[in-house]
Amino acid sequence: MLTEMKGIVKDFGPVRAVDHVDITIHPGEVIGLLGENGAGKTTLMNVLAGTFPPDEGEIFIDGKKAEVTSALVAMKLGIRFIHQEISLCNDLRVFENMFLAEELVGTGGLLNKKEMIHRCAEIFNRMQVDIDPNALVWTLQSAEKQLVEIARALLFKCDLIIMDEPTTALSTKDINRLFELIRQLKTEGVSFIYISHKMPELFEICDTYYVMRDGKLIAHGKFADIDEQKATELMIGRQLADEEFLGKPYYGQEEVALSVRNLSGNGFQDISFDLHKGEILAITGLQGSGRDMLADALFGAEDYTGTIQANGVTVKQTSGIIDHMKHGIAMVPRARKERGIHNDLSIYDNLSMAFLNTRFNGLLINGKTEKNRFTRQKQALAIKTDQPNNPITSLSGGNQQKVILGRWLEAEADILLFDNPTQGIDVGTKFEIYRLIIDLAKAGKAIIVFSSEYPEIHKVADKCIVLYKGRINTTIKREDVTEMSIMYYSTGANVEAQKND
Amino acid sequence: MINTIQKSSFKDILKKLFTEYSYWLSFVMLLILATAVNTNFLRWSNISNIFVQTATTGIIALGMSMVISAGLIDISVGAQVAIISGLGIVVLNRTDSILIMLLFALGFGLLIGICNGLMVAKGNMPPMIATLAMQSICRSLINHLGQGGPFTVSDANFATFRKIAAGSIQLTQGIRIPYPMIMFIVLSILFGIIMRQTKLGKHIYAVGSNTVSARLAGVNVNRIKILVFAITGLLCGFSGWLYASRVMAVAAASAGNAYEMEVIAAVAIGGTSMNGGRGKIIGTFLGALMFKIINNILVMANFPTFLNGAISGAIIIVAVLLQNIQNKSK
Repeated sequence: MLTEMKGIVKDFGPVRAVDHVDITIHPGEVIGLLGENGAGKTTLMNVLAGTFPPDEGEIFIDGKKAEVTSALVAMKLGIRFIHQEISLCNDLRVFENMFLAEELVGTGGLLNKKEMIHRCAEIFNRMQVDIDPNALVWTLQSAEKQLVEIARALLFKCDLIIMDEPTTALSTKDINRLFELIRQLKTEGVSFIYISHKMPELFEICDTYYVMRDGKLIAHGKFADIDEQKATELMIGRQLADEEFLGKPYYGQEEVALSVRNLSGNGFQDISFDLHKGEILAITGLQGSGRDMLADALFGAEDYTGTIQANGVTVKQTSGIIDHMKHGIAMVPRARKERGIHNDLSIYDNLSMAFLNTRFNGLLINGKTEKNRFTRQKQALAIKTDQPNNPITSLSGGNQQKVILGRWLEAEADILLFDNPTQGIDVGTKFEIYRLIIDLAKAGKAIIVFSSEYPEIHKVADKCIVLYKGRINTTIKREDVTEMSIMYYSTGANVEAQKND
Repeated sequence: MINTIQKSSFKDILKKLFTEYSYWLSFVMLLILATAVNTNFLRWSNISNIFVQTATTGIIALGMSMVISAGLIDISVGAQVAIISGLGIVVLNRTDSILIMLLFALGFGLLIGICNGLMVAKGNMPPMIATLAMQSICRSLINHLGQGGPFTVSDANFATFRKIAAGSIQLTQGIRIPYPMIMFIVLSILFGIIMRQTKLGKHIYAVGSNTVSARLAGVNVNRIKILVFAITGLLCGFSGWLYASRVMAVAAASAGNAYEMEVIAAVAIGGTSMNGGRGKIIGTFLGALMFKIINNILVMANFPTFLNGAISGAIIIVAVLLQNIQNKSK
């Protein structure tokens, strides 16, 4: 099947997520779609898979114009999308999930369970994985769930399979099996679009690359003609702005702001480190490395054992978020839409929330001081709006994030945890946020940036803690932070190597 | 240039009128309709009467506004009024003190509200189920205690207690302001200020809008959930006290019947989002009045009273559907 996307445009409010993109997918071709987070890859694939319609542009299949109006239509056309997030119904069984909305029906309208279980077993067999089709999904490991997601796409005959970071939870062994399967299907004429941040994987399995940046298609060609260095350059662009961060001085002071000892909790163990005033520490790790949980625990949103000292004072254990806040700890949470902003509330209310919780003891809230707070943060953070009474959703993602940051600055927090702070933010604003983070460090704030993005860590961090399976694998100094070193320690290559010796 | 700016701002005002302030629009339209049906509608005696009728449910609707703004629901309010007013009369007859009766009513309501809140916040129960169970418990208890007969205020207390609901302040000749009207207006203003200008109000909207974000901004979500139910219980207590004075004989099976429908309808007509996060007390205030005005019109038009429930159901459906349409047009 020859699939062509022509002139695809997709806007989300004021943000143009996909900007006139053309892609041609030949039968049996494996395309690697590259780009930083927020470059528009997933959006483009959602258009192709019928999740939402494009604002402009057309899709042709075998030369004929196709109206991919829904996911169901896309499936009928032979297009399958394996989503990045695992979207299985936990309370259903594996085979029920795999056949969801496409159940096999026998005589009298009853489900043909036997046949469905049989077909699932067949697929698992082909993938060489050992999963019971009858198992309840919540009993599975996350790697197994990811494999179920992949298996679901293989259940019916299809011609194009889109995989959005399919290997985040998989072991090397599983990945190799998956690649074997891809190669086999390729010979049968099935094409693939493969989205991943892991360079070695892309080079191993993909034929052609397409690079997206800022919603636009920047380059495409054969993987055989480029190397990893070149691919990275294409992805992040040779931005002059990059150099701006190269000479970032170390603003760290003598005084320790945050001292963490033997912190253990759900998904992480025995974490100890010191964070000085003015220092920027990055904490990274793959999905499932305990990074998210550690961030939440430091802010008091998750239970932990061990001690946290903020500015020399021990934070009472399991005392909850509000006590951590009163010790000056703040968090700009990951997944801004779900965990940061309040859609229904105005910019004012979103901004004032933390201040009201920690610093405000009066009875009535004064509109004038609200306004002063907004004006102050608008100037300090360059928030682009003149209508603070409007809902926060009237702002772009980057400006929303600035409001959340302003929320904590108004609460006079001095230990700032940034959890994946530039998720879904356009490149221009990303750099603004980096500058803000550095300025805050210069002003003496102690900062931890939890991030999975190398370019981000590289720009702001004075040192970087790499987590592997819930423990600190290593701490890398600023001058040694490279994409290679981070990937090496994130994947636990050093630990696994020792095991093999 | 100037023209276009004015044009767009006029359009903005219109848009705001249809979306954010639609309850004003419906209120005015309803007034016009009511005056057309009943030429005496705008007379002070009729208006003050509507206020008196509205007060018992309207006061509870203020609490329900909080509950719904926090993304929750309380369907036990009618049964709460029944048990509180019934037992309240027992307390009054024993103590001969209106004040002790009020304190009992407030305390009892608070207790029920806290129970509701604990079930939802600490017990992690869906609010619909928790308050449905509470409704059943309250109603059944008061039915059992009443054994079929009503709770009647004793002759000794009759004259004084009646004044709570039937008394009024003489303003000028011909214009008397009934006590329930004053209570409703004062409480509405108080709750308006709480929701607009206090930490509690902001936190309620925050919890209703996004529980996770609220927690991560340091809001004690469980405490807010318990508080909104507790406040609603407190208001049920106050309302039950007022209700007892209005009827003087509380029939266990029918007291406060369908109050939850009226109250939720008032909040819905008032433009509060049923998903939480958005709403205004002034909307609820007008919504509660509108509900009674509609009743008033129907009585004038000789509409069968048994169909009142159908009307309130229809009002809720229409109000919430309209909200959804408005949200889309935003």
